[in-house]
Amino acid sequence: MKFDPVTLATPFFILAIILEIALGRLGKAKAVYEPKDTLTSLTMGMGSTVAGVLIGGVIVAASLWVFQHRLFDIPMTAVWAWVAIFLLEDLTYYGFHRISHERRFWWAAHVNHHTSQHYNLSTALRQTWTGGVAGTWLLWLPLSLIGFPPAMVAIQKGISLVYQFWIHTEAIGRMPRWFEAVFNTPSHHRVHHARNPRYLDRNYAGILIVWDRLFGTFEPELDEEPCRYGIVKNLSTFNPLRVAFHEWAAIGGDLLSSRSPREAAGYLFGPPGWSPDGSRETSDMLRVQWKASQARETEEMRRTPASGAEYPVA
Amino acid sequence: MDKGFLIQFAVSAAAVAGLVVLSAWARIARPTPPLDEARARALFAEEFPRQHLESVWIAQDGAGALARSGPSALVLWRSGDGYVARATPWSRALHARFKDGLLRIDFGEAAAPRAVLAMAAWPPGDAPA
Repeated sequence: MKFDPVTLATPFFILAIILEIALGRLGKAKAVYEPKDTLTSLTMGMGSTVAGVLIGGVIVAASLWVFQHRLFDIPMTAVWAWVAIFLLEDLTYYGFHRISHERRFWWAAHVNHHTSQHYNLSTALRQTWTGGVAGTWLLWLPLSLIGFPPAMVAIQKGISLVYQFWIHTEAIGRMPRWFEAVFNTPSHHRVHHARNPRYLDRNYAGILIVWDRLFGTFEPELDEEPCRYGIVKNLSTFNPLRVAFHEWAAIGGDLLSSRSPREAAGYLFGPPGWSPDGSRETSDMLRVQWKASQARETEEMRRTPASGAEYPVA
Repeated sequence: MDKGFLIQFAVSAAAVAGLVVLSAWARIARPTPPLDEARARALFAEEFPRQHLESVWIAQDGAGALARSGPSALVLWRSGDGYVARATPWSRALHARFKDGLLRIDFGEAAAPRAVLAMAAWPPGDAPA
């Protein structure tokens, strides 16, 4: 029998969503659900499963072919091998996730996961339909080339996906400090789903937040700046087809209008929001603008002392 | 696709339907009272922090708003219990289709094809040309 962590966890996903809705209804936890948004998220999850089945054969065949040319023989029964695959798969996930945000071609496949203006457990299931076609699975092939059996890689990918389910919630505030320091948590991942300039393109981690701390992409959640969820330009539709394909359509339009191969490459592989004349805004541009406005406000506050502060009473 | 997958898919579809009904029953969406000018300005400030608003017009049903900011029209409209915003040239907004009290502004985007705002009149009497 095939061991698939995601399939095994599906009943838990359903029960957890029921629990989150119930706690929200009873006012015992923060949980915001909008029915159309929930339907879209869950439909995207089902569609992603179908897309996975359709492309799954190609991925399995490629993984097995690469494994036949492996550099080492790594036993599935060794504890050290599981520790190694845990770390290497999680690092691979970080790389996949980062490129999925920072390069438009892969963003087009990933953006649907960020299109909800809500952050609840149903959002976790708003998964890609086009990730397989975008070829992000290629990033995991080196693990099989090293010598990790494809089944082992698939199981660890599944474990990572299951782990990332529970962090899509506002019902949990902060975990213990040691946990927040090492692992990806609801707080860290809320930041990842936020569209505030401060939070854009941060916290790419799968299970271990240490990768973000290591590579300079970590941003803590601040109580004084609540997360606003969604994407920079939110969608006005709940239609799953538009959710799945809108960025691909936008890329197609841009490619048709591009005037040179360089422009076409920029539209395809530049950061989301890139344009030849700089008239659109990338995450970096938005962050720079935000930082400049923060600096201006700080300077104004420094120049304008609070009432009474000019004449301190001894 | 094998039979097992189809059964799993059918069960998942039933679960989805059940969860959506549950989320509707729970009534825990964000409250969306009709927009007033202060709220509309606050939302515009979030969406377009660098834009100065010259004039703001609120849709009659309070489900959207339109603002003039120099050569741009800033458009805000409700989607579910959230809002969507886009900027478009003022001239395009000025000449957008207005019929039966509904102003339709096309954006030509798959993500947000058009905004439909219920306006008393368009262009409004106080709108600059």
